[in-house]
Amino acid sequence: MSLPRPLATVLSRLPEAPPTLLLVTALNLLRRRLWPEDDFAWLTGRRVRMEISDLGRGVTFSFDGRHFVLASQPADVVFSASLADYWIIARRQEDPDTLFFQRRLTIAGDTELGLQLKNLMDATDFEPLLQHLPQGLRSRLVI
Amino acid sequence: MPRKPQLICPAGSLPALKAAVDRGADAVYVGFKNATNARNFAGLNFTDQQLAEGIAYAHRHGREILIAINTYAQAGRVAEWRKSVDRAAEIGADAVILADFGLLSYAYQTHPQLRRHLSVQGSATNFAAINMAHECFGVSRAVLPRVLTLPQVEYVIKNTPVEIEVFGFGSLCVMAEGRCILSSYATGQSPNTHGVCSPAGFVRWEPEGQRMRTRLNDILIDQFEAGEPAGYPTLCKGRFEVEGDTYYALEEPTSLNTLSILPELIKIGVSAIKVEGRQRSPAYTAEVTATLRAAIDAAGDAHYSVKPAWQDALTKVSEGHQQTLGAYSRPWR
Repeated sequence: MSLPRPLATVLSRLPEAPPTLLLVTALNLLRRRLWPEDDFAWLTGRRVRMEISDLGRGVTFSFDGRHFVLASQPADVVFSASLADYWIIARRQEDPDTLFFQRRLTIAGDTELGLQLKNLMDATDFEPLLQHLPQGLRSRLVI
Repeated sequence: MPRKPQLICPAGSLPALKAAVDRGADAVYVGFKNATNARNFAGLNFTDQQLAEGIAYAHRHGREILIAINTYAQAGRVAEWRKSVDRAAEIGADAVILADFGLLSYAYQTHPQLRRHLSVQGSATNFAAINMAHECFGVSRAVLPRVLTLPQVEYVIKNTPVEIEVFGFGSLCVMAEGRCILSSYATGQSPNTHGVCSPAGFVRWEPEGQRMRTRLNDILIDQFEAGEPAGYPTLCKGRFEVEGDTYYALEEPTSLNTLSILPELIKIGVSAIKVEGRQRSPAYTAEVTATLRAAIDAAGDAHYSVKPAWQDALTKVSEGHQQTLGAYSRPWR
């Protein structure tokens, strides 16, 4: 599965700040609910970039000790995968190690920081979030 | 008719634990967030609160939680390992999986009611060693290192009162289990001392166009061309130049897959079948647990055959180019 070419062309020309802002805002809203035990000291002052390989765009963010914030490149660790593969990982349809073995996911830079983030996502219980969604939508999202 | 073996599945997080329970694991094995277990990876494993929730979830479904405390207590830090055993007892684990004889002794004396399993890291490959662990520390189950043939496994089972657990699926290594110090040559750390083969802090993946290089503490250990499957960044799975040839000089990335010999494993009286992979994500745990559950349930049937769908599911999540029966079917000894 890949993005339709006209859509990819449009998306690849958009600036990165708006989607990043959307991401960090969402993370800040959800932080206490999803990760009540994590102080994110391991992410403080470190920059993570998630690159969408089929767009040549991505989001770069950090944690300033209190909030998730938009950050500039270069990042300490860079994940790279197609938009479709990020979606597959997010829905827990495949595990990231499988995609890594298949060369569909790469992690460059600080591997330990990347692993910490990957394991945080694995350990996240999305149930409190999904409870607020209508049943029809829930069943399409949950594995 | 031998009893159907238990299915023991890995979990590095609470969602993985729940996935294992939901998909039919009889027991789930886990570790604490410290060097006392052999998957001491950044961000992996359980806080006390997560573990308490996981144990409650498993027990509600009639399943067990086993806690791996299977590295070797380091000089001057023995208290950390003992404390982990205490925590396991307090939190209500069904068993602890231990390798260090000093720790086995401590657990036996301090928490006699807590079942003790001998970890694969304990490196006990013969019945005399297993029986000694039974007599000295009341070990009720031993996990066999992945170096024995099926007849050898059967011979062990016939000569011990201890339940025998074997690996059924997962990434393979050089299998000097409990004795491997290979990675310490590159990093100064090894699985037995720090709970991790290649600590992530030493690992660098360097994409260069379509090619990717893997470095461990700056030492180039492998290089993957476009489309070539990648493996874990461990020294044993690296490619090295030996007398002019560059190849997997120690071991090729490979996964163990015992689907085809499940009936034999059951017949010889294996008590439990273990899946490797606490470092993997919930999606892996779910997929492998469901597949092994279906296969073990079907394996007692005289007309058992491996379903292509099971094979496909396991192939998809496997490390390396190939799957193997490992030592189980080895013609040489």
